[in-house]
Amino acid sequence: MQVLSYSGSQLVDLCSALLLLTCFAIVAQRRLSACVDLFALQSAFLVVTTALVAYLTGNQHLYVAAALTGVIKVIIIPRVLKKVIDRLNVKRELVMYVTVPAGLLICGGLVMLAFFISQPIIPLGFLLTRDSLAIALAIVLIGLFTMIARQKAVTQLVGFLVLENGLFLGATAATYGMPLIVELGVFFDVLIATLIAGIYTNRLQDAFDSVDTNQLTVLKE
Amino acid sequence: MIEVVALVAAPLFAGGLSLVVHRSALLHTINLMSMTVLVTAEIMITRTMLKDGPFTALEQLVYLDALSTFILFIIGVVGLASSFYMRSYMDEQVARGVIASTRLNLFFFLFHMFLLAMVVATIANSVGVQWVAIEATTLATTFLIAFWRRRESLEAGWKYLILCSVGISLALFGVVLLYYSSLHVLTDVSQALNVTQLLPVADRLNPHVLKLAFIFILVGYGTKVGLVPMHSWLPDAYTEAPAPVVAMLAGVLEVVAVYAILRMRMIIDHAVPFAFTGGLLGLLGFASLVTAAFFILIQHNYKRLFAYSSIEHMGIAMIGFGVGGAVGTFGGLFHLLNHAFAKSMAFFAAGNIHRRFHTVEIDQVQGVATALPWTAMALMISGLALSALPPFSSFASETQVVTALASQGVPGMWFTSTEGMVTVPLSDQFGRIALAAVFLMAAVLAFGGLLYRMTGMVWGTPPEGILRAETWTLGHLPIIFLAGALVVFSFFLPPPIQQLLEQATMLLVIQ
Repeated sequence: MQVLSYSGSQLVDLCSALLLLTCFAIVAQRRLSACVDLFALQSAFLVVTTALVAYLTGNQHLYVAAALTGVIKVIIIPRVLKKVIDRLNVKRELVMYVTVPAGLLICGGLVMLAFFISQPIIPLGFLLTRDSLAIALAIVLIGLFTMIARQKAVTQLVGFLVLENGLFLGATAATYGMPLIVELGVFFDVLIATLIAGIYTNRLQDAFDSVDTNQLTVLKE
Repeated sequence: MIEVVALVAAPLFAGGLSLVVHRSALLHTINLMSMTVLVTAEIMITRTMLKDGPFTALEQLVYLDALSTFILFIIGVVGLASSFYMRSYMDEQVARGVIASTRLNLFFFLFHMFLLAMVVATIANSVGVQWVAIEATTLATTFLIAFWRRRESLEAGWKYLILCSVGISLALFGVVLLYYSSLHVLTDVSQALNVTQLLPVADRLNPHVLKLAFIFILVGYGTKVGLVPMHSWLPDAYTEAPAPVVAMLAGVLEVVAVYAILRMRMIIDHAVPFAFTGGLLGLLGFASLVTAAFFILIQHNYKRLFAYSSIEHMGIAMIGFGVGGAVGTFGGLFHLLNHAFAKSMAFFAAGNIHRRFHTVEIDQVQGVATALPWTAMALMISGLALSALPPFSSFASETQVVTALASQGVPGMWFTSTEGMVTVPLSDQFGRIALAAVFLMAAVLAFGGLLYRMTGMVWGTPPEGILRAETWTLGHLPIIFLAGALVVFSFFLPPPIQQLLEQATMLLVIQ
């Protein structure tokens, strides 16, 4: 049992690390559709992590969460985003506020910050998923950074979804999943938020002829 | 528990009906009926609550105590007022062709969903469900804010959606952390986010985790409240949204978000020294108050003026909660009520002015007293109430906050630290008085800015081509009622409201 839980925790750590790795790939990626693909890949890793935790701990309701993640974040949301990108006339992120190397360095710093913040509370966690909490916080911070550093509405949306993935990993890792009713509510909200944002990008495109959020400067002091 | 079911069922049912109904008169009737059911249920709940104390319903899903009943009261009053106001406002927009008549039912559907989400956020026992409901308010109001579909509206809506979603996501991380800390204490994990489960064991939760959780929650829900520095979406959204919607955003949504913070604080204060949460609330409160006071001075757009005034007043309420104690907390809660009434009234008046003058620029609006005498009166009354002048009840609440501030100071700020540092009596006193002075200076700045702009709008001669007559509409009814309440409440609080406020204060003050 001891050996199983040790190798189990190694596996969970590995999967969480893969999630973090895809974050870095998203930060380094300029093509919008590739960003969406990377997000789908990250969500797939999240499905594996959740299912793994469900298997190792025997928490049945985590299988439901994993399945929902699979359907919503691996299949539906990337499709919606691809459709949005197809309608837009811009395929690449042309201007970024931060260059790719600088962005990667900042993300490295954010990972260290996340580990530093969660250091005092990590020992309270379950042995199986102990380090994943810090990784989850790192993913949340990187998602936030992506939203600030990028200009296109679509990439901002991807940043938001990455942030949400980090939150979900945190919930799974720290607590073996939240109560089911809360988790269902969160999934519902994320799905609706993405659809709304998708509709919105279309309207922005119609009104401003661009999805550069830089163009959104009509309202100012 | 029929009243609790009615509370949720009324907006849900009305929302569903609105989707299939297309006649404007019928839509308004459905809306008013559902609001009436909501308010009736709310009154019944208040009576039960005051008689029997806090209770749970629907298998622990719903928890109602004095604080949540008080918030429900605000939702009910402002919601009803907005519904009355909408009657003439929306019909005129349709008649002028600003919105297609086919889209009117969409407006009502979103409005009901917005209301439903706020009610659920208030009555939910689980802080997780509360989070879901508050995120749902963001989703419902995004399209309401951008309902005119102009470029500016789209911009405001996008900012609102992105900023609030991100903020709220951070709050979810706080909820996760709270759950994390409760797992070691509670046996039944499926209920571990319920307030009724958390409160009895709150003092055994891990303080490190709770501190981190509170920071995330304060930043997250603080975005929704519009506290500086997370406020940048707020002035844009308030400028662009239709008037009845802004009245709800400013009057109720902010209050619900404040309530979510207070709910968390009730739990966290049991395990963490009071100075931690109080200091953070006071810090954000002062940041909001001072920043907003300066921005009020330089505004050229009356809707933005009121938006910054909202930030200012939320800052004042936060300072009240930060100072804590019976006086500060009571003052903060009472201020939420007064602000909700005065601000919804101000936006009703602003809506009337916008309909007549077709501009939001203060410089182009003159002679409201001649063109729209009733609206001018409403504008002045709300302006005086928002500047916290007597005889309006916001004077009473603001005085309570500043009295508490001057006598107790904000814990954790300015030498009142209890850990490690030696408390020097003289500098402590100096600190308290300096904080009170900063508070009063900011309040005076805001007062001057607000009244200067408003008198400029009210007096003078209206521009050429502006019709000079005001016809009586149903929308005047809530304005008169709110103005009356603002005056009456400063002399006499009706016993049920006073009891609610006192009991809610008791819940928030940890002995």
